[in-house]
Amino acid sequence: MGIRKYAVIGALALAGVSMLGLSAKAEDVKLTVWSLDRDIQPAPHLVADFNELNNGIQIEYRQIQFDDVVSEAMRAYSTGQAPDIIAIDNPEHALFSSRGAFLDLTDMISKSTVIKPENYFPGPLKSVEWDGKYYGVPKATNTIALYYNKDMFKAKGLDPNKPPQTWDELVEDARKLTDPAANVYGLAFSAKANEEGTFQFLPWAQMGGGSYQDINSEGAVKALTVWKTIMDEKLASPDTLTRGQWDSTGTFNSGNAAMAISGPWELDRMSQEAKFDWGVTLLPVPQEGAERSSAMGDFNWAIFASTKHPEEAFKALEYFASQDDKMFKNYGQLPARSDIAIPATGQALKDAGLQVFLEQLKYAKPRGPHPEWPKISKAIQDAIQAALTGQSSPKDALDQAAEKIKAVLG
Amino acid sequence: MALRHHHFLPEGVVFRANAPGSPVRSIGGPMKRLFSSIRDGNGFDIVLVAFPLGFLFLMAGLPLLYNILMSFQEVDMFSLGTFLRPFVGFKNYQELFAQPETWPILGNTAIFVIGSIAGQFLIGFGLALFFWVNFPGASWLRGLFLVSWVMPGLVVGAIWNWILSGDFGVLNFMLKETGIISGNIFWRSDPNYSLYAVIIANVWLGTAFNMILLSVGLASIPGDLYEAAELDGANAWQRFWTITLPMMRSTIGAIVSLGLIFTLQQFDLFAAITSGGPNNSSNVTQYWAWDLSFRQYDFAKGATISVIMIVFVMFASVVYVRSTRHEVRG
Repeated sequence: MGIRKYAVIGALALAGVSMLGLSAKAEDVKLTVWSLDRDIQPAPHLVADFNELNNGIQIEYRQIQFDDVVSEAMRAYSTGQAPDIIAIDNPEHALFSSRGAFLDLTDMISKSTVIKPENYFPGPLKSVEWDGKYYGVPKATNTIALYYNKDMFKAKGLDPNKPPQTWDELVEDARKLTDPAANVYGLAFSAKANEEGTFQFLPWAQMGGGSYQDINSEGAVKALTVWKTIMDEKLASPDTLTRGQWDSTGTFNSGNAAMAISGPWELDRMSQEAKFDWGVTLLPVPQEGAERSSAMGDFNWAIFASTKHPEEAFKALEYFASQDDKMFKNYGQLPARSDIAIPATGQALKDAGLQVFLEQLKYAKPRGPHPEWPKISKAIQDAIQAALTGQSSPKDALDQAAEKIKAVLG
Repeated sequence: MALRHHHFLPEGVVFRANAPGSPVRSIGGPMKRLFSSIRDGNGFDIVLVAFPLGFLFLMAGLPLLYNILMSFQEVDMFSLGTFLRPFVGFKNYQELFAQPETWPILGNTAIFVIGSIAGQFLIGFGLALFFWVNFPGASWLRGLFLVSWVMPGLVVGAIWNWILSGDFGVLNFMLKETGIISGNIFWRSDPNYSLYAVIIANVWLGTAFNMILLSVGLASIPGDLYEAAELDGANAWQRFWTITLPMMRSTIGAIVSLGLIFTLQQFDLFAAITSGGPNNSSNVTQYWAWDLSFRQYDFAKGATISVIMIVFVMFASVVYVRSTRHEVRG
């Protein structure tokens, strides 16, 4: 599989490049696409395939680094060098659309036979919206759920088919599963002081009835109190405060944590590394029957308002969307679409996990959308860290965050 | 300007370029005077000075001024491309000092700078004295120590990240095995330790550089001074206090001020080990400036912190220039 796959990919890429070089006619419309996708991820392949169609539109692809996406795009736009199409992280989308930097696609989408709003999950779709209009198309999506080690559940006398459903059950199970002598923590998650911390905490606040505009509501305070209980009782490693999701879940894979909160991007690695029976379940809720919620990650496509070829650029987006059904099989990413049935991969654990994530996606909510999201997110991160290090109580910390967010929202 | 080019250029190198018969000679009047001034006179000095000055102004001066300008403006991502942005006076400074985290972060920076320099200098000086004894293989071993200085900060950070890790870190393992601690210390995640975790890594990173510079300083002390002192009956401690330290004064001044500059530049280790956390307990101005500018896109505040840092670096530069001044004269 491995070598052949790469050979095919290589041939495709080469074909794409040579098509671009040989067949680019003078009358071809040239578009540029920027995204952070590397050669094993969708964008460069979508571009190469699109160029092969030879439909009078040729796309030039440029890869940008994750940390540079926003600043590069801003600089390019303010100096009139923006690309036609860009892939942008969903919480940053509103920053651009609110300033008119992205093209309003509402009319084109309403006429399109390929891109239909009703085919998308509500969360990702909301992230491209601003002021009731569509300023982009979701590229892919992800969310978080609870992974758990079934072997450890059995060993501690818990039912491996009854993972925790509520916050109380989660804490209770974590207490039973924590085993300092064997270097096992009950739970692994991330409360890091960056976007990852917000990404992990906000779903909890939302399940408790809070939101970023209402971050000090009773339910959100309870959520942070549960987090604090988990940290104070050492049911999760103190390094949770400084560790990202990828590293935290690594400790789950190596058998040093019995449960982990993370996303579908872990499925491939876990299938290879985890030498035990594992499962995935929906994020536990405050009490039985409570509203579900989850985080929503990944990128959106958008067209810059400065493009000279809006029609052609939208055509490219239509082509990209038409390939959504192959995204999970080829690149392990989830399309943001509710109308696509993802075929089974044949790996039982991975397929079962995927079904849970697809269910969880229905409850995924975007962060924002708000043009000053990074500042809102920072206020939430500060609150999480202040409470978990014991420097203020969960209530005080979230009150302070609410105040900072109020100042941003104006 | 006391230096003249014929003081340090071999006679004739410049002249030959304009040997008799070359076109320059046939130009008369003011042009001729200008060329002859450039050839041998004040003009030549000015040209020599103008190039580096121009370079410095373009590459360091303009960005510096731009940074100061930004700290008095309202800047967002969409006005990044222009110079003329709304002027807000000292608003950025006032807002910055109104934030509750500002003073703790400035305090952290002071602890980080003093802790790092003290650690780097003391261990570096110890090692330099040790290798000065010149046992067999000393210079070879001293070279090996430089490996830490050659490594990129991010790599050093990643390695220390593992070493300092709470559950499975090597440092905790060693401290536990030797009985110094009984429970794991969460170096990166405990607000009481996180800043010191980065200081430890930074001391390791900078010690070799200190050692090399101090070794050079030690080697330049004339040996006969010690011989004379020994004949006069001075013991090792007296020789150290009355000869080594005074003779090293300018080297030490240079190292401490260079150390201040390097420590204030240290960014990679924070990014790799603690990200300034938890709860800003290991945040320092240089990391905070980056976080404000490139994570929260608040470029004006980022610039404001940079301006405050410039003041400190200026201070270090003055010390550095003063301590190395008489080296140039000598």
